[in-house]
Amino acid sequence: MQVLYAFLVGPFVQMGQAPVFFAEVVINGLLTGVMYSLVALGFVLIYKASGTFNFAQGVMVLFAALTLVGLMEHGVPVWLALILTVAVMVVLAFAIERLMLRPLINQEQIILFMATIGLTFFLEGFGELLWGSNVKRLDIGVPDRSFEVGGMLLNQFDLFAAAIGAALVAGLAVFFQKTPIGRALRAVADDHQAALSVGIPLKTIWVVVWSVAGIVAMVAGIMWGAKSGVQFSLSLIALKALPVLILGGFTSVPGAIIGGLIIGVGEKVAEVYWGPLVGGAIENWFAYVLALVFLLFRPQGLFGERIIERV
Amino acid sequence: MTSARQLGDILLKVEDVSLSFGGVKALEHVSFDVREREIRAIIGPNGAGKSSMLNVINGFYQPQEGTIMYRGRSHRHMRPHEAASEGIARTFQNIALFRGMSTLDNLMTGRNLKMKKNLLWQALYLGPARREEIEHREFVEHIIDFLEIQAIRKTPVGRLPYGLQKRVELGRALAAEPSLLLLDEPMAGMNTEEKEDMCRFVLDVNDEFGTTIILIEHDMGVVMDISDRVVVLDYGRKIADGMPDDVRTNSEVIEAYLGVMH
Amino acid sequence: MNDAGSSYATSPVMSDGSGQLDTFPKLLLDRAKNLGSKPAIREKDYGIWQTWTWSQVADEVRAFACGLAAKGFERGDKIAIIGDNRPRLYWAMCAAQSLGGIPVPMYQDSVAQELQYVVEHAEVRFAVAEDQEQVDKLIEIRERYPNLELIIYDDARGLRSYSQEYLYAFEDILELGRRFDADHPGFFLDQVHTGRGADTSVILYTSGTTGTPKGVVLTHDNVLISARNGIERDQLGQDEDVLAYLPMAWVGDHVYSYAESYVAGFCVSCPESSATVLNDLREVGPTFFFAPPRIYENILTTVMIRMEDAGWLKRKVFHYFMALARRVGSRILDRKPVALKDRLLYKLGNLLVYGPLKNTLGFSRIRLGYTAGEAIGPDIFDFYRSLGINIKQLYGQTEASVFVTMHPDGEVRLDTVGTAAPQVEIKIADNGEVMYRSPGVFQCYYKNPEATAETKTEDGWVHTGDAGYLDADGHLKIIDRAKDVGKLNDGSIFAPKYIENKLKFFPYIKEAVAFGDGRDYTVAFLNIDLEAVGNWAERRNIPYASYQDLAARKEVYDLLQGCVEQVNRDLAADPHVASSQIRRFLILHKELDADDGELTRTRKVRRRFVADRYDKLVEALYSGDTHCEIASEVTFEDGRKGSLRADLAIRDVSPVERLSDAAD
Repeated sequence: MQVLYAFLVGPFVQMGQAPVFFAEVVINGLLTGVMYSLVALGFVLIYKASGTFNFAQGVMVLFAALTLVGLMEHGVPVWLALILTVAVMVVLAFAIERLMLRPLINQEQIILFMATIGLTFFLEGFGELLWGSNVKRLDIGVPDRSFEVGGMLLNQFDLFAAAIGAALVAGLAVFFQKTPIGRALRAVADDHQAALSVGIPLKTIWVVVWSVAGIVAMVAGIMWGAKSGVQFSLSLIALKALPVLILGGFTSVPGAIIGGLIIGVGEKVAEVYWGPLVGGAIENWFAYVLALVFLLFRPQGLFGERIIERV
Repeated sequence: MTSARQLGDILLKVEDVSLSFGGVKALEHVSFDVREREIRAIIGPNGAGKSSMLNVINGFYQPQEGTIMYRGRSHRHMRPHEAASEGIARTFQNIALFRGMSTLDNLMTGRNLKMKKNLLWQALYLGPARREEIEHREFVEHIIDFLEIQAIRKTPVGRLPYGLQKRVELGRALAAEPSLLLLDEPMAGMNTEEKEDMCRFVLDVNDEFGTTIILIEHDMGVVMDISDRVVVLDYGRKIADGMPDDVRTNSEVIEAYLGVMH
Repeated sequence: MNDAGSSYATSPVMSDGSGQLDTFPKLLLDRAKNLGSKPAIREKDYGIWQTWTWSQVADEVRAFACGLAAKGFERGDKIAIIGDNRPRLYWAMCAAQSLGGIPVPMYQDSVAQELQYVVEHAEVRFAVAEDQEQVDKLIEIRERYPNLELIIYDDARGLRSYSQEYLYAFEDILELGRRFDADHPGFFLDQVHTGRGADTSVILYTSGTTGTPKGVVLTHDNVLISARNGIERDQLGQDEDVLAYLPMAWVGDHVYSYAESYVAGFCVSCPESSATVLNDLREVGPTFFFAPPRIYENILTTVMIRMEDAGWLKRKVFHYFMALARRVGSRILDRKPVALKDRLLYKLGNLLVYGPLKNTLGFSRIRLGYTAGEAIGPDIFDFYRSLGINIKQLYGQTEASVFVTMHPDGEVRLDTVGTAAPQVEIKIADNGEVMYRSPGVFQCYYKNPEATAETKTEDGWVHTGDAGYLDADGHLKIIDRAKDVGKLNDGSIFAPKYIENKLKFFPYIKEAVAFGDGRDYTVAFLNIDLEAVGNWAERRNIPYASYQDLAARKEVYDLLQGCVEQVNRDLAADPHVASSQIRRFLILHKELDADDGELTRTRKVRRRFVADRYDKLVEALYSGDTHCEIASEVTFEDGRKGSLRADLAIRDVSPVERLSDAAD
């Protein structure tokens, strides 16, 4: 009985007793969640446009952060380094379209997926070749300070990162819903053959999508890199995006955003309230367990297109 | 109405086209021409190669033999993007709409090739691109009016009944201001009333915009009334070509149809 | 009747009897002079609302009138108007009136054969049609009736290859008119000023429940004085917004969308198409709305279906606040005392539910709504009133230029149709028939003196054909059609429409036909509402393939049996009608349809016709049979005929004991 009480009731009693602290935990969870959303968004965009899972999304995060730090180490001012990094990611998108996607057109999805694995190794090696393999510190001029609001301890950098992330997400939403190119992209995601028949150039769409995915990766890379240093492990945050995608559905932009927030909040809350009961470190596996549960009961995710065959 | 109409010059000429998949011959030495402002029907029993013929014309399939002459230029084969930008628009037998998008957005994608502003402008959606968008919207609104689909302007097409989806697909093809419109069984699966509506729209399109139309059907009745000339395919071969009345009485055609009807 | 003059906002229009602005064209010219830059009419076209000001309308009307004159249109000529509500069709009416001609608006969904009767009977020389669909019908008519000289169309789509020499585009006539006007300056104004209020302004053909349509002849005075009285009663001003979506051939549209707009100077909006009305309603947000009960019902059904599909929380909140609204909403609307707590909750509800709901319905600006034509269901009526939408009943007739009675504000009672409209006198004849006399009373039925004499007395009283009585407050209560009221064999009164309306108040029942005159008991045919019952069936996973299939399902019979039993309980509560309880019913295998002659064009049941056509079913209902086979002919929309065969189940319903004893 006591064990049951400790797991099923105790944590909620704690939450009720210290609501301000609970709010703080939730907000911190949301802040992390925004970052997860950002990474997951990169996956969703490419999945929608080319129907493949981009294994290289994580390493693109690393590559972008490395490029930015590398440029700054060479004395380039922050703003210029940012612009140059964006340019590099766009060039990368062109290169990927020309060298990888175009030759593989009309191939099986699994072939394309293997190609993205190849891309992963290439980018990792290429990045280290260019910028070296030591851990680098990235300072973009926003202090990593904490302050108190109404009894809650909040981190200034986290807030800043969340604001940037939210702005980016909002911008992308407008881009895809309101602009002609966004409409063309949705058309390609919906039906390749029909898109071809109305003359939507698939190649252009790919470049745009990979560029956007690259820029999203860059923003994620900067935010995470500034917190924990730019190093190889940065590419591993892609793994955190997987449960987010399973939760939100591979094809849903809102799903990626909300899925990210749920995972962010969920793992923080689990860590703080249930962590002590099992000796901590829940944060590392909570997301995967949640994803597993979803795979069992709702495989299309929260917002994924329902899998219905038309009769 | 067929005989009274003035047909224009030759717009499309399919010459000696053969297409096979592996060992299966889909088309064998098929030739015919299509004149401007004409409604040209391709009919034949199921599996006669009608859809393959359309796919050759708009470049989805590349024939092993033969040429396609379009607007005076000869092609070994077309490419989809090339066909689209040369003014060939089409609909599909199994509706290929963007199901998650609204009727309006579906029609707007049909304007894609008419959008002249370059990618960067479009991506940023600044001044000129925005003005251009408004012009395209105006054009699309005329098509919405024409096809009487105002009430479903904002409805995601996946939620529409079959007959309306067919109409939206026709609308998307029209949005490209095609000079040649390929309709793949536009009346399949419709009830009599919907068929009559669709016939009226096809005739109106031809009448209003002067669009040349190639129409596929396996139901002879409907097509005979609205087309100027008819090609009949059977097992990938052309077995007749001419005015509806001539075709109707052609013994080989009767046999082909009787052959599948028993 | 000028006593209310102080409060009504219509002023520069006309003073009673001054005779100056006594015709539509004179009014239009005055509007153009005094309100020139204000919007007169809007139409949604190509997705955008296009607006014409009063002076633009006056220009168009002038040009079109001159064009008609150039084509030989003369004083007294009739011009057919046929199509959906379109600005140009309204202008064509006024243009014809400018020349002393008489517009004859026609129902746009009539088949050619029905139209031909009216065209021939009214001796129409000219016709203005909306589009290809209407032009095709008119061409067909002209082949048999060559006196129809000229057909003018508004929308050219599909008509380019038509080569008939008597076919003109609206633009052609305008063009012609502008040239004619330049060559004959002064012609147009002369013509307008020749017109008098006593001239015939319009002939409106009533669909009639029996026999051939009759042409109701109305003068400018009839229509304009009635419109002015209506405006005065409801205090309508220049800033109203009205949606013109009901058939132009119907007197309600003629008075509200045309006459009142000209008199009060408000703007009328024409929907994009008949399919987009609900959407256009939302965009226009009318301040004044006129609709038959069916429309209010449809809107409510749409809301309810959408709520059933909504999320759990949303549904809970909705139902909670709707319950509150039902309890206190009408009282708040009628300014009656309400507890402070409820008043505050209602305010909250307004923020969360009523406001957004009214906004999606297009009723956020509405000041006043009327319903007329037939009785409205109490649930529907309460629903709107509890949301704070002031809908009222109106009782009117084409022969009265609409107005006979209407609810005054603050005296809205569902069981009456209100008090007499301004300048209307009401009396009850010895046989219980309601009669009235007013300035709006029609001149005659066109070329039908017998019918005129039957309906209108020498001294101007009109037989309504309805049985009813005036209560102590001067409110009129209508029971039924005077000629439909019959007797059961036990001698008690049988009022079929009263019973049918009670049945039709259930959303699942679309139409009902009750029989009982000269019989031992009451029986009924029911039509299910495909949308409501279909939705109900889907939620319960009841599969069905078609209307006929659904209508025959046992579950559906059970559902409707519940409705019938509820009606019986209501009837049992009133000693006058307690004997009319329904003992047996069946669900028809097809919808009653105007194309099959079972309904009128205004969708009223043609009882005799239905009784004859389905006499086999009626007899089965009065025999002991538990089912009956029937084959019936149906007409498709394209005019082809087909046959429908079905075996219909018959249900027995046990009557409720008279409650009057128990209640004592």
